[in-house]
Formats: sequence, C-alpha cells, structure tokens
Amino acid sequence: MSRSKLSVLLVMTLASLLILSSVALAKTTLTIWAVDGLELDDPHHYYVQNLVKTFLADNPDIDIDWVAFGSEGAALNNRIRVALAANVGPDIFQSWGGTFMGEFARMGKLLDLTEELSDVPTSEAAKAAMSYDGRLYGIAPFFAIAGLYVNEGIFEELGLEVPTTIAELEAVAEKLVANGIQPFAVGARDEWPILATYMYLVNRYGGTIFDDAVARKVRFDAEPFVQAGLKIQEWSKRGFFGNTPMSEGYGDAQLLMQTGQAAMQISGSWLCGLYADPNQTDQTIGFYAVPVLEGGVGKVTDLAGMTDVGFVATATAADKKDAVVRFLTYAMSVEAAEKEAGRVASIPGVNPPNRLTGMASDVFTQAETIQFWWDQNLPPALTTPVNLTIQSFLMDDTDVKAELARYELLVEDELGSVR
Amino acid sequence: MAVAQTAKRKKKRDWYRLGFIALFLLPALAILGTFMFYPIKETFRLSFMRSSGFGEEIYVGWRNYQRIFASPEFRQGFVNVFKWAFWSVAIQIPLAFFIAFTCVNFRTRIIGRLRGVYYLSNVLPSAITAMLGVFIFSPTSGVIKTFAKTTGWKWLESIDWLGNPKLAFWSLFALATWAYMGFGIIYLMANIEQIPTEIREAALIDGATQWQYAWRVVIPYVSYAIRVQAILATVGSIKLFDLPYMVTLGGPRNATVTLGITLYREAFLNWQYGRGAAIGVVIFLICLVITIFQFSFVNDHSATDQSI
Repeated sequence: MSRSKLSVLLVMTLASLLILSSVALAKTTLTIWAVDGLELDDPHHYYVQNLVKTFLADNPDIDIDWVAFGSEGAALNNRIRVALAANVGPDIFQSWGGTFMGEFARMGKLLDLTEELSDVPTSEAAKAAMSYDGRLYGIAPFFAIAGLYVNEGIFEELGLEVPTTIAELEAVAEKLVANGIQPFAVGARDEWPILATYMYLVNRYGGTIFDDAVARKVRFDAEPFVQAGLKIQEWSKRGFFGNTPMSEGYGDAQLLMQTGQAAMQISGSWLCGLYADPNQTDQTIGFYAVPVLEGGVGKVTDLAGMTDVGFVATATAADKKDAVVRFLTYAMSVEAAEKEAGRVASIPGVNPPNRLTGMASDVFTQAETIQFWWDQNLPPALTTPVNLTIQSFLMDDTDVKAELARYELLVEDELGSVR
Repeated sequence: MAVAQTAKRKKKRDWYRLGFIALFLLPALAILGTFMFYPIKETFRLSFMRSSGFGEEIYVGWRNYQRIFASPEFRQGFVNVFKWAFWSVAIQIPLAFFIAFTCVNFRTRIIGRLRGVYYLSNVLPSAITAMLGVFIFSPTSGVIKTFAKTTGWKWLESIDWLGNPKLAFWSLFALATWAYMGFGIIYLMANIEQIPTEIREAALIDGATQWQYAWRVVIPYVSYAIRVQAILATVGSIKLFDLPYMVTLGGPRNATVTLGITLYREAFLNWQYGRGAAIGVVIFLICLVITIFQFSFVNDHSATDQSI
C-alpha cells in the first residue's frame, strides 16, 4: 500500500472515530429514580423493565440511568426530599402524586409539563393526581382504586352472594365467622392498610365530607367520621377482622387471602396481579365495588384510589425537556402499558392482562368521583397521624370520638379552625 | 551566643512538636467538627424553627418544645424508653451475668460451644433480628402460632403478642433481651475470666458454695464491668429505634413507641424538621447527662484503683 493511500485511510479512520465519539457525546442521559428494579424476574416489574428496554431501542440518542430504591416507597421518598432540597435530584422520579408531589411543585422543584403532555390520552383522575394548582407535572400510566376482593370459591361453597349493601356485608361476615373463616384480611399492624376501609365507610355515611373537612367547613370529629370509626370498632369486636388484627401486617393479610383463610379484603387494585397469578394462589378471587349504606349518602360509584405508577420530572431536567417528554409520552403508550401483569391502566385502549384486573378496570371506568388516599392527599404533617388514629379504632377500648377530636386539633394547627 | 543558639533550637523544637501534634489532631478535629459538632449545633438551631426541610425556616422560639412535651406520643415514648432502660438493667444484666458465670465456671464441651451461640444474636443485623421476631410472633404463620396449633393449645393460639397494647412491649422486650444480651455475656465473661484461679480455689476450699462464690467474690470483682453494662444499656434504651420500628412501628397505640420513633415520624414522615430536631435535642441532653455520670464514675473508679 502506498504512503498516500495509507494516509487517506488513517484520516478516514480518525474522521470516523471523531464522528462516532461526537454521536456518543450527543447522547442524553436521563437519570430516573424508581421503586421497581430492572433486574428482578418478577411479574410486578415487567412494565418498567419492558418500558426501559423498548424505549432505549427506539431512542438511540437517549441513555437511561435507572436507580431502584425498593418497593416500599419510603426509601425513594426520603431520598427525593433530601436531593431536591439540595437541587441535585434525578431528571425523573417515580411518584404517586398528591400533596407529596405538590409540596415539590409549590417550591418550584418540578418541571411544568402542562403544554407538552396535554395531548397524551389518560383518565381525568390520573391527570388530577399528577397536577398541582392547575399545572401538570407528570404522568400516571396506572391508577390504583380500592375495592372489595372476594374469595368467590368460599362464597360459592357457603352459598353466599357478593354483598351490595353494608347490611348484606355484615350478614355475610357473620356467616363466615360462624364457619370459622376470617371475613376480612386487613394487615392493620402496618397502619395504612385499614385506611381504605375507613375512607369508604366515611364516604358511605357522609359522601364527600372529607373534602369539606379539608376545606375547613366541618370538623374531623363530625358525625360521619365518628360513625365510620364506631363501625370499624364494632366489626372488630364481632371478629370480622379475626382475633389478632393488630398483629397482622399487610403481608399477613395477603397470605390469608392467598390461602383462603380470609374471604374478603378492602384494598388497592395493585393486588390484582398477585391474586390472579396461579403460581401465587389457588383461590378464585374477584374484585367488586365496596357496598353502599342503605339510607347513606355515598354512592357505589364513589371510589377511593390514586396513582399506582406515576412519573414526575424535576426542574433540574429543564435542559433535557425533549428527552423527558419523549420518555413520559412513551410510558403512557398502549404498547408500553400492555406489558403490565396486573395493574389497572389509566390509558384508554389497554387490554387488562387478566380477569381480576379486568373486573377492577370495570369498577374504575364506572367511577363518578375518586377520593385520593387521605395519607397521600393531606399535608404531610397530618398523614401519619391519620393512619394511627384510624388504626386505634380496631381496639375495643378506644374512645373513637376522643381520638378524632385529638386529630382535629392537629388539623387545626395545620389548616386552621373550621370557619 | 550559646544561650541564644539553645533558645533558637528550643523554639524550633517547640514548633516541630506543635506541628507533630497538629498533624495527628487536626484531621480528627476536622472530621468531628464537620460530621458531629456542626450537625449538633444545627440541630439545636433547627429545634427553634418551623421547617419542612424546604424553603424558609420560621423562628418559633420554644414552641416546638412545648408541642412535643404536650404530645401524648412523645410522653409515651419518654415513659417507654425509661421503662425499657429499667428492665434492661433489672433483667438483661443479671441474666447475662449468670450465663457468663456458668460459661466460665462450668466448662464443658457444650457450654464452650454455647458461647458462640450466645454471641450470635449480637452479630446479626437488627433487620434480621426484627424479621426473626415477626416470624416468631406472626399470627398467621409464626412459630408460636404453629406450635400452639400442633399441640392444640387454644389459649396460646389466641394470644395477640404484638397486637395487644398490654403485651406488645413485653413481646418486644423478650426479643431484645435475646438480641442485645450477647455482648453483655461476652463482656462479663472476659471480666470473670480475669479472676485468678487461686481465689476461686481458696473460696471453694473454705467451703463456699457456687452461689456464695458468685455473690461474695465474683460480683464485687466485676462490679465495674456491671456498672459499665448498666450505663450502656441505659443509653442504648434512650436511643432505641430500629427493633421497635421494624417489628411494631411503635404500635399498637404507641405501646412500643420510643423517642427515636417519634423523632423519625416528626422529621421524616410528618415533615416537621423543627419538632424532630427538638426531640433530637432532648435525646442528646438525656444521653449527655448519663455520659457525664459515666465519666465521673470512671474517674472515681480510676482513683480507687490508684489508691489500691
């Protein structure tokens, strides 16, 4: 090879290397903090695993640095708070919306994506959960609603009908107790699992009274709150939550349902994947709307729920807005959402992955109002106390009215007195 | 001239000595200052502020302290840690002493192996200990529940170990006794082993029983170690957080809540950093008083040793 040819080859190689390296340099890296990991072979993680894999394949100019903090959520939330306070957070983080996200939005720590995400098809409830003060900060491809899980096998065996009123529910529970089966699995040791039951009872007695209490039109120890608390206490005394409700964690409650030791559970639709998986349970479990109270205010279409999987962009990602929007838009696509194994999608056109999720989706689509989880939607100073207050109703000697009055004092400190 | 040269050399030597001391002390001081003294000072400052960890902090004077002392949760935590401290000293230390005494004075192959078993609980991370605790007391699949079902003991099956407010503290305390006693056993064993063999032989020849030997010889001999153990157990109880939080979250109805748990709830769950800091200051001051007491007692002991 002549010297000139060799020189040309060398120059061409160098030029190619330069072009390649510049392409590599032009890659945008999105740092995403989440709860679910990308490595575990767990159906619960299929959505995020496929989301990242497919998105990276379709977007070679974007790289993702995915950091998982574990499914509890508290680790991620604590880390996010510290990081965003120091303005060193990720570009995107997994969030359930509500007041936790709202606090960050209020402090200007989030990226306003109202215009960019306005055309992304989603349910109004999901949009509301990821908004603060009329501005949209993220997406919620999956939405969790609480409903009544029923062990249909046990019901069939005992000749029971799925209850549609609270009176029917109590009659069913009595019959289950008489047959040595725990009517409700709760998991009250972990504090928050009893919240959904109480939220529904408050709604059935007093409709949207919670909103009025937050708006400081009524007190938190108003009649419907007390009636709902007394009902939980009465059910506990009648053995509807078993003999040791305060010792059972949420994991215990799931185990009771999976093994047919408990017949019903009021909980979020995130359990659909677990209860529909034949490798996890041999029981036939269905999902129904929580019964209504005859003569009560709340309707069967009044639901409790909130974001199941959501993503929010931070203000530090302002210079990567295009990549952020591309990722969030893809996360809201039917293609990405159909990889999910159990959650209820808030994206129109997504086929439910199993019968149980389909039942939960049907309940969700009929919703007229959705009350967000109180412990995600109250100011942070009031969230742990609300769960502790409700948990105490399960104990026989709790003075429900006095506990609620004590909680009202905390609310007054945060939100002011009733006007 | 010679005097001036000597003075110059001495000055140089002093500088050299000072530099040498600084070389050793300054890095430690810098680390302590950054990671200990500054955060302590900031905690004191924050305890007088209303702060959510974000944005502006508002000076509220003693309000955070008034609020925490008015809180039933904090007061229960206060009672619980001192109750925990009292029973730790009253139960864990005597138990650790008798196990240590038995291990040292009755040497058999089995007892030799038991040393390792006793210490094992101490090397387990508290998360594992908590998991074991839940596994023992779980109402659905726990060891006690399974045992009660197997034997048909309904009375045992119906006990709500972690859910009954009157029982939860003691269930947790039983778990902690097993978890935290390992160190006490090893520490006391090391001290008992220091007693010269002649003393033991002389006591036994004089007709002392094992009980008399333990009571009249061993306990006075290791009293210093027992007192150190008591102080460590007390300070550990005041700072207690991990085991109660992981097993019961401080419940039911604050039956197992500790000052550490109230701090965590206020600061990290309720976003009330000011109140969390105020609780931190209270814990700090209690521990400080106990530590001062510990130092004075160590000094007394040194003086006694020297006089001997």
